Amino acid sequence: MPPLLQLHQATIRFGGLTAVNTVDFAIAEGSLCGLIGPNGAGKTTVFNLITGVYAPTHGRITFAGHDLAGKKVHEVAALGIGRTFQNIRLFDRLSVFDNVRVACNRHRATGPLQTLVRLRAFRDDEAAVSRRAEELLEMFNLLRFRDTPATCLPYGEQRRLEIVRALATRPRLLLLDEPAAGMNPSEKADLVRLIRHIHREFGLTILLVEHSMRVVMGVCQTIAVLDHGMKIAEGTPAEIRQNRKVIDAYLGEEHAPLKAE
Amino acid sequence: MAEIPQSRAPNPKSDTPVPVWRLLPRQHLALALGLVAAVVISRFSGSIDAYLVDVAIGIGINVILAVSLNLVNGHTGQFSLGHAGFMSVGAYLAAACTVFAGPRLLGAAPGPLAHNLLFFGALLIGGLGAAFAGLLVGIPSLRLKGDYLALVTLGFGEIIRVIFQNVEVLGGALGFNGVPAYTDFAWAYGWGVLTIFTVSCLVNSTYGRGFIATHDNEIAAQSIGLDTTRYKTVAFAVGAFFAGVAGGLFAHLKLSIDPRGFDFTRSIEIVVMVILGGMGNTLGVILAAVLLTILPEILRPVAEYRMVLYSLLLIILMITRPQGLLNFRFGKTRL
Ligand SMILES: Nc1ncnc2c1ncn2[C@@H]1O[C@H](COP(=O)(O)OP(=O)(O)OP(=O)(O)O)[C@@H](O)[C@H]1O
Ligand SMILES: [Mg+2]
Repeated sequence: MPPLLQLHQATIRFGGLTAVNTVDFAIAEGSLCGLIGPNGAGKTTVFNLITGVYAPTHGRITFAGHDLAGKKVHEVAALGIGRTFQNIRLFDRLSVFDNVRVACNRHRATGPLQTLVRLRAFRDDEAAVSRRAEELLEMFNLLRFRDTPATCLPYGEQRRLEIVRALATRPRLLLLDEPAAGMNPSEKADLVRLIRHIHREFGLTILLVEHSMRVVMGVCQTIAVLDHGMKIAEGTPAEIRQNRKVIDAYLGEEHAPLKAE
Repeated sequence: MAEIPQSRAPNPKSDTPVPVWRLLPRQHLALALGLVAAVVISRFSGSIDAYLVDVAIGIGINVILAVSLNLVNGHTGQFSLGHAGFMSVGAYLAAACTVFAGPRLLGAAPGPLAHNLLFFGALLIGGLGAAFAGLLVGIPSLRLKGDYLALVTLGFGEIIRVIFQNVEVLGGALGFNGVPAYTDFAWAYGWGVLTIFTVSCLVNSTYGRGFIATHDNEIAAQSIGLDTTRYKTVAFAVGAFFAGVAGGLFAHLKLSIDPRGFDFTRSIEIVVMVILGGMGNTLGVILAAVLLTILPEILRPVAEYRMVLYSLLLIILMITRPQGLLNFRFGKTRL
């Protein structure tokens, strides 16, 4: 079976800086992969390349048999790639409920004209969307914040809401950019459980960018390591922990063999 | 993919007969009531002072302009400065319809119904023409980020004014005269109600939350699959349509239109209403439109200072109510 997502020699240059350099990378359907590396290594840029925010200077990205070249961000999303953002990007003016509902739009049958006529089909659509949004919020224990403006949520809940919003688009591949940033150890433990849960329950493929080794080593089946835009290693968590290049470039000695947090 | 269990019981009331009025969605009920009220009140306008009726109609037209611009500038967050330009397209198109085509059409079928139908058709053509102009301006420029739209729409407003100044058939710089007096209270408020209905229905739906999402965070909106350019285009076209209709109403109220009446200051007036009302807050914007139409009338003796007062009022309000007149909903309180 061909991989769900594949990067062939993906490269992007910003002026003189090569942020992502000839990266080859493949993710099999159903896997849970990690992407790690020091600050500025190009991890977020890889996400932006996959989701069409940037077009690669060289190389090719394919997803589920589609070449993503020239696809706009919303078209990539429609193919089934959902994401969260390193710096939270919720819709400030919308409630928690509406942040999720608006993400269900992709699967509705009715458009702008029907909002005026409000026939049966429109009302059924709205009801279905609301029900689904409530179910998702319930599942992630956010339903109690239903009508709260999204930005009034505590920080950790905002991160989880971003995940829920991405799930509402029913993605096949979910890209998580530092979901544990700013979380305390107990929140991190919850997050690990949550990622495992959605991976299983939604039958998703997940690519996770994270600095917390505890989270990455805890959930990922395979890990790729970036440094200065180049992929320097790829393997299982155990292999990555022992990889000399990775230890030198990123992990440092304290993470070396078997000394996880 | 795992199916999520249906957690809701079926609606227990679904078998009991619903009252007839509940068959209509709430919004349509409000629309019907609003339209009836406009017509009924219009019946009594004969016994009211003509000046007051005039001011009231002016308010109605400004409400149409402000509420429609609010969809673009407020909800969708696209800063358009061309609303007066779209208004002029509608004004000239509608006036041309009633002035040139009117006599011929009315000759075939005279009577008040024919007049009303003619006017309705003229307003629709004016609105559609303005919407078309909106698409022409919007499609190439809505993809651009930031302030380009403001510049392009500003340029459009000026270009369209120069064009109308030079089209002799439409009166050129002297203005287009002899427009029939069709606009009355019922027309202005009927369209006002229709504008509020359309914008509210569009925004108050899961589909319409996409306008606000586009405004709040465009990249995030795209990442959940929303075609933000399309949202902006829809907002722009709908906004321009109602600006065109307002222009048609204005032309058939003033009976004579002049390109200078649709200049940059007119656009700014409407933008001010939207900002004052609290970008994206329909009720606030209606209130601001009412306030800013009445204010110059009250200040008639010092009319030269109107713009000064506008600026003063804006500054005071921006300091005291930066979120708009009626915006109490989203405070800064964190949980
Ligand atoms: N739009 C851009 N224009 C110019 N340079 C950019 C742009 N986006 C990213 N870069 C640069 O590319 C490099 C990689 O950035 P990126 O955000 O992908 O790093 P990262 O691995 O996500 O780091 P972090 O762990 O800090 O999030 C950085 O040097 C950054 O400054
Ligand atoms: Mg990053």
